[in-house]
Amino acid sequence: MLAGVPLTLQLAFSSIALGLGMAIALALIVRAGLRPLSWLAESYVFVFRGTPLLVQIFLVYYGLGQFRPELQEIGLWWFFRSPYYCALLALTLNTAAYGAEIVRGGLQSVPAGQIEAARAFGMSGLTLYRRIVAPIALRQALPAYGNEIILMIKATSLVSTITLMEVTGLAHKLISETFRSFEVFFAAGTIYLLMNFVVTRLIDLAERWIAPDLKRENRVAMVPLDTR
Amino acid sequence: MDASCRLAVAVEDLFKCFGSLEVLRGLSVSARDGEVIAIIGSSGSGKSTLLRCINMLEVPDSGTVSIAGEAIKLKPRRGGGREPADQVQIDRLRQKLGMVFQSFNLWSHLTVLENVIEAPIHVQKRPKAAAIDEALVILEKVGLTDKRNHYPSQISGGQQQRAAIARALAVQPQLMLFDEPTSALDPELVGEVLRVIRTLAEEGRTMILVTHEMGFAKEVANRVIFLHQGKVEEEGPPSQVFGAPRSERCRQFISSQLRS
Ligand SMILES: Nc1ncnc2c1ncn2[C@@H]1O[C@H](COP(=O)(O)OP(=O)(O)OP(=O)(O)O)[C@@H](O)[C@H]1O
Ligand SMILES: [Mg+2]
Repeated sequence: MLAGVPLTLQLAFSSIALGLGMAIALALIVRAGLRPLSWLAESYVFVFRGTPLLVQIFLVYYGLGQFRPELQEIGLWWFFRSPYYCALLALTLNTAAYGAEIVRGGLQSVPAGQIEAARAFGMSGLTLYRRIVAPIALRQALPAYGNEIILMIKATSLVSTITLMEVTGLAHKLISETFRSFEVFFAAGTIYLLMNFVVTRLIDLAERWIAPDLKRENRVAMVPLDTR
Repeated sequence: MDASCRLAVAVEDLFKCFGSLEVLRGLSVSARDGEVIAIIGSSGSGKSTLLRCINMLEVPDSGTVSIAGEAIKLKPRRGGGREPADQVQIDRLRQKLGMVFQSFNLWSHLTVLENVIEAPIHVQKRPKAAAIDEALVILEKVGLTDKRNHYPSQISGGQQQRAAIARALAVQPQLMLFDEPTSALDPELVGEVLRVIRTLAEEGRTMILVTHEMGFAKEVANRVIFLHQGKVEEEGPPSQVFGAPRSERCRQFISSQLRS
């Protein structure tokens, strides 16, 4: 089963990296409030947060598989034929929606007085964003985003349903060979726990580095409860 | 006009309303270089709005604001009011103004020292080493050398306000604007902040100070302005405004302040 760890981590971290980029773009679009665009972004977030990830994975892999001739025509079949790419796409789209909410919350939490102070000293535009708004938003958003990373690592187990042999997929396979469900799933759970233990530590270090003045209790208190 | 009486700021005939509330109603104020002006007046009389119009955090509906002889360019905005016509000009003129807020507004993600060097490095593009050297001198002056590596959340309100004053000093402003710098502080912390402001006044810095500390205004100001409903109701040297105000409202306001 340990052989599945690289695939699990690869799926989790690629989707998180791609999804974070999308999340920031979505959050900025919503914040800018340009009507048709921000409305689209808000609907996107609503739809992807409001439907189960498993259904999203099935839709991308099986659902779009139905349109094979059309996809072949536009030269995208190689992508949608691959369970790996489909899983990556579904995970990315899903985490982007959650991430967008986290980024939006972070931006919203930046105190108006601190932005005003920056303006009063002649800062504006990109410098204001880069030097003041983004770092303060990051401090606020990091605990919630750490939570999102942990959720994503666990969420990758769903891709075993589209034939991918990550930790859970390998566990299924092992059980069909040995019929020892309890031991195998127990071991699988332990592997996820260990991965998340390491990730939690890393997130904690990042928080300490980015917000050295905030006390741990305060940071944790800001993490919203959210499960998938 | 000789150099010693150049105008650091001139505000002429300012009008500003928020919705149907007229906050400034034809206000004119100017400060010569080296002058310390105290602005007093009851809550809601427009003191903060005046300061915020000087650095365009609030854009006046009509009237002009000139910083060091240069009028800030404004243009009509769609849907009423006005907006800055030239952001580059505003950003440049704002560097001549050091604003100190009632609620400090230090940047929470930066240490005290980083707060002080932020604008010099990232707005004024001064070399980092020079900015740090100068920041250390300023922090020494406001008595925060030992707190330079603390974050705002780790120091007291009085220390935060002194850090905010240091941040304003670091841009080498021609005019300092203080909006009730001590009214968010516990009484025992007021003194340390007033001491710093007094030092600045003695150095001959040009300052406009909105305050409820009547005793302090009397002591440091060259000129006191009493605002009432968005207009200058009384203006003159402290001895006149506090000792023999011409306006009945001003007299009442001062006696109510002295009683409390
Ligand atoms: N951004 C705003 N939007 C709407 N109303 C505002 C805004 N800023 C100020 N006001 C209103 O304008 C009036 C004058 O406000 P201002 O802050 O200038 O008063 P002030 O003299 O500084 O009073 P204080 O002593 O309480 O600080 C107040 O009634 C206030 O509620
Ligand atoms: Mg005020």
